[in-house]
Amino acid sequence: MADGVTTAREAGETEAGVAGSRLAAFLETLDEPATLLERRRRAWERYTELPMPTRKSEEWRYTDLSRLDPESHVPFAPESGEEENRDAGDLPEQAARLLEGMEARSAVAVRVDGRTLHRRLDPALAERGVVFAPIRRVARERPELLAERLYTSDVSPMEEKLWSLHVAMLTGGDVLYVPDGVRVPEPVHVLRWAGEGDRLLSTHTLLVTGREAEVTWVEEYLSPDLESPLLSLSGLELFAGDGATVHYLSLQRYGRGVKHFSIQHLLAGRDTRLSGLNVNLGGDLARDDVTSHLEGPGSESEMLALWFGDGTQHFDHHTLQHHAAPHAYSDLLYKGALTDSARSVFRGLIRVDRGAQLTDAYQTNRNLLLSKHCHATTLPNLEIEADDVRCSHGATVGQVDEGMLFYLMSRGLTRLTAERLLVFGFFDEVLERVPVEGVRERLRDAIGSKIGL
Amino acid sequence: MPHNETVEGLGLDEYKYHFVTRDKPVFKSRKGLSEEVVRQISAHKEEPEWMLDFRLRALKIFESKPMPTWGGDLSTLDLDQIYFYIRPQDRMQRSWDEVPDEIKDTFERLGIPEAERSVLAGVGAQYESEMVYHSLREEWENQGVVFESIEDGLKMYPDLFREHFATVIPPADNKFAALNSAVWSGGSFVYIPKGAKIDIPLQAYFRVNAERMGQFERTIIIADEGSEAHYIEGCTAPQYSTESFHSGVIEIIVKRNARFRYTTIQNWSNNMYNLVTQRAMVHESATMEWLDGNLGSKLTMKYPSCFLVGEGAHGEVLSIAYATDGQHQDTGGKVVHVAPHTTSRITSKSISKGTGRSSYRGLCKVYEGAVGSRSNVECDALLLDETSRTDTYPYIEIDENEATIGHEATVSKVGEEQLFYLMSRGLAEEEAMAMVVRGFIEPIAKKLPLEFAIELNRLIELEMEGSVG
Repeated sequence: MADGVTTAREAGETEAGVAGSRLAAFLETLDEPATLLERRRRAWERYTELPMPTRKSEEWRYTDLSRLDPESHVPFAPESGEEENRDAGDLPEQAARLLEGMEARSAVAVRVDGRTLHRRLDPALAERGVVFAPIRRVARERPELLAERLYTSDVSPMEEKLWSLHVAMLTGGDVLYVPDGVRVPEPVHVLRWAGEGDRLLSTHTLLVTGREAEVTWVEEYLSPDLESPLLSLSGLELFAGDGATVHYLSLQRYGRGVKHFSIQHLLAGRDTRLSGLNVNLGGDLARDDVTSHLEGPGSESEMLALWFGDGTQHFDHHTLQHHAAPHAYSDLLYKGALTDSARSVFRGLIRVDRGAQLTDAYQTNRNLLLSKHCHATTLPNLEIEADDVRCSHGATVGQVDEGMLFYLMSRGLTRLTAERLLVFGFFDEVLERVPVEGVRERLRDAIGSKIGL
Repeated sequence: MPHNETVEGLGLDEYKYHFVTRDKPVFKSRKGLSEEVVRQISAHKEEPEWMLDFRLRALKIFESKPMPTWGGDLSTLDLDQIYFYIRPQDRMQRSWDEVPDEIKDTFERLGIPEAERSVLAGVGAQYESEMVYHSLREEWENQGVVFESIEDGLKMYPDLFREHFATVIPPADNKFAALNSAVWSGGSFVYIPKGAKIDIPLQAYFRVNAERMGQFERTIIIADEGSEAHYIEGCTAPQYSTESFHSGVIEIIVKRNARFRYTTIQNWSNNMYNLVTQRAMVHESATMEWLDGNLGSKLTMKYPSCFLVGEGAHGEVLSIAYATDGQHQDTGGKVVHVAPHTTSRITSKSISKGTGRSSYRGLCKVYEGAVGSRSNVECDALLLDETSRTDTYPYIEIDENEATIGHEATVSKVGEEQLFYLMSRGLAEEEAMAMVVRGFIEPIAKKLPLEFAIELNRLIELEMEGSVG
């Protein structure tokens, strides 16, 4: 079993029933540390055992996977761990452009079709023990950082199929480790560009912070409009130490032709402060499944999301605020606007375990419908098993305010511009909670160009 | 076929509270469900051929549908152990005097005679599977109101019956609606004529008394154009050692400009599975109000619905649930906006105590074209113990952009400040707790007829006894 290649071949051969599987064949080509390969093999077994979720399950009732055929996608070659590190000037034009304005970031990585072409970490931070490297390299050089963390998330049964596929087909991933007491002053920013259709891109992020550490992580998903479909799978596992402050932001602005599935597990220790923001603007179908585990007393989790759907885009958001410890606080605010024939789903759950007394948990989903044929479904759920709690949720679906539209139009704006401005204002309630100004502006620009402002 | 089998044969004497009367059913189907049982029920009721066909079709649908896996736990519900039909009497009773003493005795214990004396105008009291007592106030008869048992409704008003039966809840709606459609027995047939305004509520009391006996009442109410009426259904049943099962279907048609209110206070014994489908079709400018109180049963799954199919229709659901040890109240409401300018409101209040669990489950659906629709849903849950549980599962599906939809829910415990204040005014902690709980349900209780509100308050007080400390 020392030889990883052999292990992979064995895995492929024992998989009767998937003969001719392109994805199974992919597993045989791999040369990587045995521990990673073993994980892939187990995940692949789970993947082949599990049925694809159907609309009969509550979790997938509003999102149809029947036309999702992972076998029709060729996985991108996995990263080697030995990265190229080109200067910004040597990058492909689109990647170089993305790097503009990112000079001040504490760390940056650019991945194109899964391969890292550029990676930079502030040397002062590296000296203080910060690690920012691809998963495969960390598996070789610092395996203790992955142990009992990588792929350990308690993924819900109805997400396990895609999670298993994600793990088995991993293209590459990034590990960020911030030791105790280290404050990363500027955001760590990862750009993930995909330029080819008919492919499967699977990326993973493992964020580990020590006690009292502080960091802001930003990841962006981009592609041109693709003629043939891209399947994008992404996973996030965040382990925040006691007293740490971690901000996580994901900006998904793929072109058309992309189906994106993201599973995010955030674990908060004692007195940890987490905040996460998911912005979905691109792709044909995007589904985020986000879980905040409040495992430490006194922890806080802020969960934010924004989306703007047009054409026939379909966005599906699943959230879980899991209060396992007393005295914790969570606040969710998900806001979306839809036009044309776009659809969105929000399904959120606050679960308060028995014994998680003095919980404060809130959940709000607001939807703006801008056209005749768009659809919004919202399911804000509560399951409360402790009695000394304050929990509330709210959901609304409505239009832009006619009075406000009238006011703006009386000032000479066209109806369309006025409406767009109001949508922008609708999103601002979330954007103003983004702690880093540079990131906030980048999000505003992305949203502005999406809604046509 | 066990003709004339008595309750003694069922071993009810072992019933620990001895709250059993010795009734003598004339006919009892055998346990479990089969085509034969359905044919027997239909034959026994001397039904027209179309109804037998309908029942048999529904039975097939029932058999083809899987047991629901959402909501409450149905794994211990064994439908093979249930009697699908029992008839205690051969004929309808026209007045109280004619009701057999044994049955009266049961009602006496439930306090029904008092209700009778005070406001009861027309009574369809269902004892076991059928109406045994049925009276109708004279002036209503003069107004043309029909308030009959469902069986008599079918016989006496065959055309009106057939025109509306199963139009609101077809058998294929859900597994238990299909079951009810196959084996229904008992319930009311109500017709309120055009323009009639009925001030005193129509009341029906339901009571299940034979162990392992299913009760499948079916009620159809037609509120014709411009009419106004209020129907009250209350249930209570003594406790048995094995599970009991109740699965009713209530269909209401509220025609143009009519107003109708349907009130249920369900206080089944804590071994009852109560799986009920209640739905109203609400036409142009009409108003439907469901007032749904769930206090008893082991598991209740009930979501009164308003289908707002006429322009300007209004639907309202007021739901109150009280779950104490071993109980799961999975209740709520559904509003479906099909026509323009329809409005709806769901207000739900739940209280969980001990190991009780109350779940709000609701649907707000707005179809494309229902322009200018508005809906508001509010759920408040109160938790009294650290072992109690509450859930909220609203479904909000909006296909029309010119609609305004809101949903809000809160969960809280009885505030220590509230208790402290009341106790500083000289109330004992228990009294203070009861007062806070009463205040919590007040918005719904005040919509109840007085004697129901009093009953509800008395019940809350009883339940609060010993809840502190």
